[in-house]
Amino acid sequence: MVRQNGGILGSLHKLYRQEELKDGKLVGEDSFGNKYYENPRYFYSRNRWVEYSDNFHMNYDASQVPAEWYGWLHYKTDLLPHQDPGRPKYKWMAEHTENLSGTTGQYVPYSTTRPKVEAWMPKPKTSA
Amino acid sequence: MFKILDKAKTLLLKRNISTSGRLRSEELFVHRDSKDNNPQTPFDFSEANLKRLAAVIQNYPEGAQRSALSAALDIAQRQIGWLPISAMHKIAELLSVPRMRVYEWATFYTMIKRKFRGKFNIKVCVTTPCMLRGSDCILQVVEEETCCTVGNVSKDGLFGVDIVQCQGACVNAPVVVVDDDYYEDVTIADVQNIIQCLKSGGIPQWGPLSGRFASEPISGPTTLLTPPPQPGFGIQEALLTPSCNPGNPCAPSTK
Amino acid sequence: MWSLQRMLRQPLSRALALSPSRLAPLTARKFADQVQAQPDNVELFIDDKPVSVPPGTTVLQAAAQIGVEIPRFCYHERLAVAGNCRMCLVEVEKSPKPIAACAMPVMKGMRVKTNSDLTRKAREGVMEFLLVNHPLDCPICDQGGECDLQDQSMAFGSDKSRFTDIHFSGKRAVEDKDVGPLIKTIMTRCIHCTRCIRFASEVAGVDDFGTTGRGTDMQVGTYVEKMFLSELSGNIIDLCPVGALTSKPYSFAARPWETRRIDSVDVLDPLGSNIVVATRTNEVLRILPRTNEEINEEWLSDKSRFACDGLKRQRLVTPMIADSRGNLTPVEWEEAIVAAARALRDCPPNKLLAVAGELADAESLVALKDLVNRLGSENACTEQYFPLEGAGTDLRSSYVLNTKIANVEDADFVLLIGTNVRFEAPLLNARIRKAFIHKETDIASIGPKVDLTYEYIHVGDSASIVKDFATGSSSHEALKRLESAKRPVVIIGADQLKTPEGPALLAYTQELALRLQDKLADKEWKVLNVLQRTASQVAALDIGYTPGVGKYLQDGPKVVFLLGADAGVVTREALPKDCVVIYQGHHGDAGAAIADIVLPGAAYTEKRGTFVNAEGRAQQTLPAVTPPGKAREDWKIIREFQIPRFCAAWIQRLPATRLMSSVHLVGGRPMLRLPVRGAIPAFLGTPTSILSPNYVPDCHSSFATR
Repeated sequence: MVRQNGGILGSLHKLYRQEELKDGKLVGEDSFGNKYYENPRYFYSRNRWVEYSDNFHMNYDASQVPAEWYGWLHYKTDLLPHQDPGRPKYKWMAEHTENLSGTTGQYVPYSTTRPKVEAWMPKPKTSA
Repeated sequence: MFKILDKAKTLLLKRNISTSGRLRSEELFVHRDSKDNNPQTPFDFSEANLKRLAAVIQNYPEGAQRSALSAALDIAQRQIGWLPISAMHKIAELLSVPRMRVYEWATFYTMIKRKFRGKFNIKVCVTTPCMLRGSDCILQVVEEETCCTVGNVSKDGLFGVDIVQCQGACVNAPVVVVDDDYYEDVTIADVQNIIQCLKSGGIPQWGPLSGRFASEPISGPTTLLTPPPQPGFGIQEALLTPSCNPGNPCAPSTK
Repeated sequence: MWSLQRMLRQPLSRALALSPSRLAPLTARKFADQVQAQPDNVELFIDDKPVSVPPGTTVLQAAAQIGVEIPRFCYHERLAVAGNCRMCLVEVEKSPKPIAACAMPVMKGMRVKTNSDLTRKAREGVMEFLLVNHPLDCPICDQGGECDLQDQSMAFGSDKSRFTDIHFSGKRAVEDKDVGPLIKTIMTRCIHCTRCIRFASEVAGVDDFGTTGRGTDMQVGTYVEKMFLSELSGNIIDLCPVGALTSKPYSFAARPWETRRIDSVDVLDPLGSNIVVATRTNEVLRILPRTNEEINEEWLSDKSRFACDGLKRQRLVTPMIADSRGNLTPVEWEEAIVAAARALRDCPPNKLLAVAGELADAESLVALKDLVNRLGSENACTEQYFPLEGAGTDLRSSYVLNTKIANVEDADFVLLIGTNVRFEAPLLNARIRKAFIHKETDIASIGPKVDLTYEYIHVGDSASIVKDFATGSSSHEALKRLESAKRPVVIIGADQLKTPEGPALLAYTQELALRLQDKLADKEWKVLNVLQRTASQVAALDIGYTPGVGKYLQDGPKVVFLLGADAGVVTREALPKDCVVIYQGHHGDAGAAIADIVLPGAAYTEKRGTFVNAEGRAQQTLPAVTPPGKAREDWKIIREFQIPRFCAAWIQRLPATRLMSSVHLVGGRPMLRLPVRGAIPAFLGTPTSILSPNYVPDCHSSFATR
């Protein structure tokens, strides 16, 4: 198990990130670099899991799993996304984005009302 | 088909705001500048009227000139027949009262004409006694003869017709008042005569037109047919004072 | 005009003679010649309770004395009695008809029943008649919630309507009037109480309102279209018992029960009128007067009442620093304070100048003076000039209204020197007019001929007249009247003292006042009055500011600290090129426009500040709303320069008064000694003042944001 997880150092690193060491078969990887594993020896509901890409460091969260892998991960389907012929693919489908709440990229609605207090705007000086 | 459309239209376009009736004033109690009635309308007291006004003001103590306000308004109105706002301003200035106090006075009294009401302002009384004696017909005749409807001034500016309430001459109803002159007991023919006379520049004789002297019964006196006894009637001879003798011009003669 | 004013005087003084009790609460002062033989009191019974009042008191006033309130619309204690609303009808035993309590003088042994069947029926009837001609538009009426008609119809009106005219002749409707941009009129709501008319002619002295027409057609208005041009016009909004006259700027803004009301003090004129600031959701909606018999009675000048919308415009909301091109750019507090502190630290003490403006409160004035003194300088001054010759500002009596505003009413001769009181202090002018009308006070004026709403003897507009008056060489009638007066008052306008002949003018005025004072039998009476122009001046002079900047400007200051100084006495042209201007204040105006560093302060509705009015009365404003954006209370900003860094957050929470007392204790010490200083944990080390050379800005400082 240690070997599979990348030796002693690799195992410690994984333990630090995920607080758990598991062995399983790598079944796929998504565009973000998240790795998906399966090991039917574990009981149902613990036998599919994701190891988040190292790009996310400690800031991983469940919204970083794209929609196509979400179905497989939650047993909605047993077909892996890249092996499923029935999946529609259209040009207009947007790239998956993670939940940006709490970050600088979050969506902030702007106020549509007039501010109660109008601030003074200093007159710009022409450069001498 | 069109009918249905029309109905639908009226239903759709009906305003859904409910409004109640409004009790409107018959007259305007605010001033609106117009061509012939504005603060620039020329008005000045004539020399004689100024003297008259000064005499009236003199009747009141120093600092109480405002008491002469009603007299001043009357003099101004008699001078030009009505009271433009410039005249009110002039009076305010002469009596040193605020203009508002003059406006208040002028709008309170109905005798003050704040609009030009014709050279002859014909006022037809329509209160109950006059109405019972046919003031409706009289009013109609007045309107026809003067070519002027109620509240307006005839085209030639000669007549202005107004409806007024009781003029205090009910015994001699119906009553038509032309400026200060009361024409009482008028008939349709009388009204026609009066107006023709006014048109031709004359002033018809005022008073009861039925031949009465004043307000005695139309069929002649029914009471007090005999002269009343003289003062001193029934008093013993010795008590009679010289002033009670028949020679007193105040005593009715007993012939 | 002469006779007009006289006319108003006579009936009013007679009306006043009817009710001496109206004067009683005004002032406790009684003068020897005013004390007359009091006729015996009259005893009467109101609701079977005995009450003893002086003859001439009305039934309504007598009832008020024992706490029985009789409903009224037209009666107002500060206006003449009209008696036309009939709401105050009460039953009097042995009287065949109910009587109007507001106009009926008391009689011996009268038995008044304010709650009998007859009285209640009379009120109900009056109420019904009033409502016949009053629209039912309470839901869209601005007066809703503070309407006398609403309240009294709930209390005294009928529970059902018998009004059916609406189906026949209709309801009375009256055209609205246009009386200017401040007062909105909905004349259909008018109940003809004539309070506005009486206020206009008695208090405001502008005879523009009146009733036109008669009977059903009667309406209150101006007849011709005309603005209500009075500096006290807003008061008719408060006087109107219904929603016929409402505030135009405040229209459809809020309901009275939604607003939070904070008692405060006005700073827009030198009198410091007491006000109530009505706010909602951190926004000042309107300003109402608060009764203070000694200052503003219950009136308020229009400037004070309607200026509150300016608190939302042109505000300084964030600290700003001029960039390399001289454009002010928003920065965080930290940066602005450090920049200002550096400038102050590097400035030689004699090149430092602090200028206090018109609206500065005493707390920030003290803080600023402490700061300047601590830096080794004495250059703290105000914008408004006052002559320093003679006693200067050492004696408080030489720069305040010594007579007191309320006592002006008792004066028998008032001399105004170089002041348009109507413009400079409208409510003081209303007092003088009140004295003129009610008490036979005469007024003379030296200065330009202006309309003061009352007649006065115009002596002339030359300053030499004051000299003639002072030396007694003038043969003018006014001087004779002044000399023979028992309680003369001389009021000199502070604006006149700016002129080159200002010092002489003040000296002669003082000489004249002294001469009059010496002659007085009543030694308590004060003659000399100086009417300052701004709310901050008296406090600033009390604290020890030097009036006027002239001398310091010539020295070529290196750093100028403007505390709300917007009057334009400090201009860029008058300053050296390299001078750093720090502006602290609440509005962007002349001061902020020339500043290199802008520190946003709080306006008078946003801080707890002490203001000293023209008569030397210290009053406190209370915060009604929070300062906008990053703005903060003024004294806290100035203190920021002096306190150790870690105390910054803590000091923000201190109430002003507590800090101020500690300020006075430590005087000009280098650092503010706070009560808990000994309790500072040792690991924090020695507190580093922001002014010390080794201070490093700390980005986690508490005052980075508000």
